[in-house]
Amino acid sequence: MAAVEREWKPTPTDGVSTPTSLLQASTEDILKAKYLSVNLNAAAASPSSSSPPFEPPLNKNAHLQYLLRNLRQGFPAHYISQSASQPWLIFWTLQGFCVLGVGLDGQTKKQTVETLLAMQHPNGGFGGGPGQAAHLLPTYAAVCALAIAGQPGAGGGWDQIDRAKIYDFFMSLKQPDGSFLVAHDAEVDVRGIYCLLAVATLLNILTPELVAGTPEFIASCQTYEGGFGNASFPGWALRGSVIDPGIARPPLGEAHGGYTFCGTASWVFLQPYLATVYSLPSQVKPVINVKSLLRWCVQMQGISIELGGFKGRTNKLVDGCYSWWVGGCVGLVEGLMGSGSGSKVDEHADETKADQDGEWDDVDDSLSNRRALQEYVLYAGQHPAGGLIDKPPKSADAYHTLYCLSGLSAAQHRVLPSAQRRATLEAAWKDDPSSEHNALRKEAFLSALSWVEDEGTAKFVGGPSNRVNATHPLFNLTVTHSEGIMGYFYKQTIPSRYAKKAA
Amino acid sequence: MPRVTSNNSDDEAQLYCEKSEWQDITPIPQYDGINPIAPIFYTPEYKDATEYFRAIVKADEVSERVLQLTYDIISMNPAHYSAWQYRYRTLVALKHPLDVELELMDAFAIKFLKTYQVWHHRRLLLTALRSSAPSPLSIASKELAFIIRALSTDTKNYHTWSYRQWLLAFFDDEELWEGELPYVERLLETDVRNNSAWHHRYFVVWGRVRAEGEIDVGDVLKREIAYTKDQIALAPNNPSAWNYLRGILEHTKTPFNSLRTFVELYSTQTAPGEEDIVDLDNPKPGPGAQLPCAPALEFLADIHEEMGGEQTKKAIEIWKSLGNEYDTMRKKYWEFRVKEALSV
Ligand SMILES: [Zn+2]
Repeated sequence: MAAVEREWKPTPTDGVSTPTSLLQASTEDILKAKYLSVNLNAAAASPSSSSPPFEPPLNKNAHLQYLLRNLRQGFPAHYISQSASQPWLIFWTLQGFCVLGVGLDGQTKKQTVETLLAMQHPNGGFGGGPGQAAHLLPTYAAVCALAIAGQPGAGGGWDQIDRAKIYDFFMSLKQPDGSFLVAHDAEVDVRGIYCLLAVATLLNILTPELVAGTPEFIASCQTYEGGFGNASFPGWALRGSVIDPGIARPPLGEAHGGYTFCGTASWVFLQPYLATVYSLPSQVKPVINVKSLLRWCVQMQGISIELGGFKGRTNKLVDGCYSWWVGGCVGLVEGLMGSGSGSKVDEHADETKADQDGEWDDVDDSLSNRRALQEYVLYAGQHPAGGLIDKPPKSADAYHTLYCLSGLSAAQHRVLPSAQRRATLEAAWKDDPSSEHNALRKEAFLSALSWVEDEGTAKFVGGPSNRVNATHPLFNLTVTHSEGIMGYFYKQTIPSRYAKKAA
Repeated sequence: MPRVTSNNSDDEAQLYCEKSEWQDITPIPQYDGINPIAPIFYTPEYKDATEYFRAIVKADEVSERVLQLTYDIISMNPAHYSAWQYRYRTLVALKHPLDVELELMDAFAIKFLKTYQVWHHRRLLLTALRSSAPSPLSIASKELAFIIRALSTDTKNYHTWSYRQWLLAFFDDEELWEGELPYVERLLETDVRNNSAWHHRYFVVWGRVRAEGEIDVGDVLKREIAYTKDQIALAPNNPSAWNYLRGILEHTKTPFNSLRTFVELYSTQTAPGEEDIVDLDNPKPGPGAQLPCAPALEFLADIHEEMGGEQTKKAIEIWKSLGNEYDTMRKKYWEFRVKEALSV
């Protein structure tokens, strides 16, 4: 079995070595060696020369065993560093199962709901563990984990989420510049705002008051490179507690994969607000530079010798988790640019079909290298003993296991806003007479759930047996789980995505 | 004052449940009556201390001993934001000297560089000290020196950089700002590829908000372009420097075309010969330069696109060469650029 010819040109250093280029070169050596050893092992296992070029399998079984061990037996003592992130440990594990296509039994769900509810703070929101202060990040993780494991009714978890108090908690964190503290006496951070907006959207508690000024804040975090930094400095623009829009709020911290995902997703979440509230021509709509954002995202994809993984910052190393944070972000940007299905006439539908079982063909419009990203996860992201990793020779952890899998999913499937799906949802929409914010909330509901898989564009390196489930680019939940919890809290009956197709 | 400096006395090794001075507290277990999913296997010390912490929080206790307890917890888990939060509130309530706390946290910050909370705690302390300390500027300047020490162990640490930028802006004093460019230049001399240093340069030069007329933007731009060109000449395949260059041109709405002569030196196969006249405005690529470099090709294509008309064709040619030869990983992106240009 011959390995595919591959470009092994190292990143050019122009004959000038610096700490960055030395670390880069040693990483490239490691990745190249890993690629070659995976191929050698495969050749030894199946020494037939006529077989097609080797593509590594996703060791689903090993990864499932890893997740199962964490879920059932728990985490070893070095995870004490995560004991203020317990809802995350649960979310990463459960969503890992979902991406791998494995459901949970009733007892596990019950136990999960009980564990999560023990972390709900009496004054609203969820903490990193029982008795810990409420914090935006674990609130997102807990609500998403409940979207997976919960259901309506006594002990189901959903009705036990105190939404009114979560809203009050959110409002208590709000800052004059439109941002939010992640917890009381804690920092302002774009990740927290992403978590807040995801939760507000899932739980149907969005109000104009909650997010007033937030789009402007998010826009101020975009750096000259195009990606987002972790916050911005409001001091110069603050006049008492009012922001002067004419004065700059420079970003703090350089463009970074995690913040760029969170900033971009926040921006998408805020579109319904921008559409319903900034409708007067006199209002100056905040803007982000989508062009430079896209450029930054695609520039983060490593070259061939880096096996096509993504980096989190300019001149840093590729890392499996950025498969999701940046690889996934490309999909969000594509959505922002309106490249969703239904936004154009699909005149090549027949070609698409004809190419389905043929060789890799770039019939889709995706702007990153999806094949290369899948290769990175398959070659460099899998730990031989199960679980997924940053890069060899690191050990597996709960975080990298999920974000490598979600990144792989984002590279396999295209989930984009569909005008058709939106129309179907809109036709079925029923106003909630008890809600004051029907226009905004309807728009939030339609926008979030119009992201569906672009049929016929899935691509699987290593063949269909490597397929993992599609995941919602905004929530990192399956579309099914997103629909489930949103349908419940928006009191909507959601039409099936698999309804009869025209013959 | 909490006694926190020694860590090898017998007393330190004692669990809280064994300490006589904590006998009045009934520890609260983490999970009461439920069998948690995905549990962490805690060490006895961590389990013990956090059980006492939950009891303290529940009782709303404000006392010196809380400082000891929270210190122990964050030593075992510096990401325990609730312990940090409680510690800060206790410090304030007890009117504990905050400069002493700041110093106490020095070693901690270096040890747990990558933790958010370590830096945020300092930010809370500095915020309070600005309005309460007799000479806040000297504290800020000492803090800048401390951050340099922290960055020397990890020159790209995200939170440390973000904190430094906040500190400069928050105190906003010329005396503090003036050391920044020389510092950035020292860092870039060691590693011209350090993107954090480039970002910091941008923050210091372009992010800082100044009074009208305080600086001549034209002069600053000239200086920055010259500096960046020199860094590109040193190592042309350095996206950090090119991104900075693009960033400052966009920020000042300067046409990319104004750098055409320079960019062309880097977008051809061969470096110009020795016999060429030395052009100080357009430094030539160094002897080891690997050309053409992709960022220069991209830049040149952007110039062509900016000029429009007939030049669009040239832009398209370059994008195709990037997709097919010089930057094949991004083939789809370069094709997209072609498509966009054609659709205009
Ligand atoms: Zn990572």
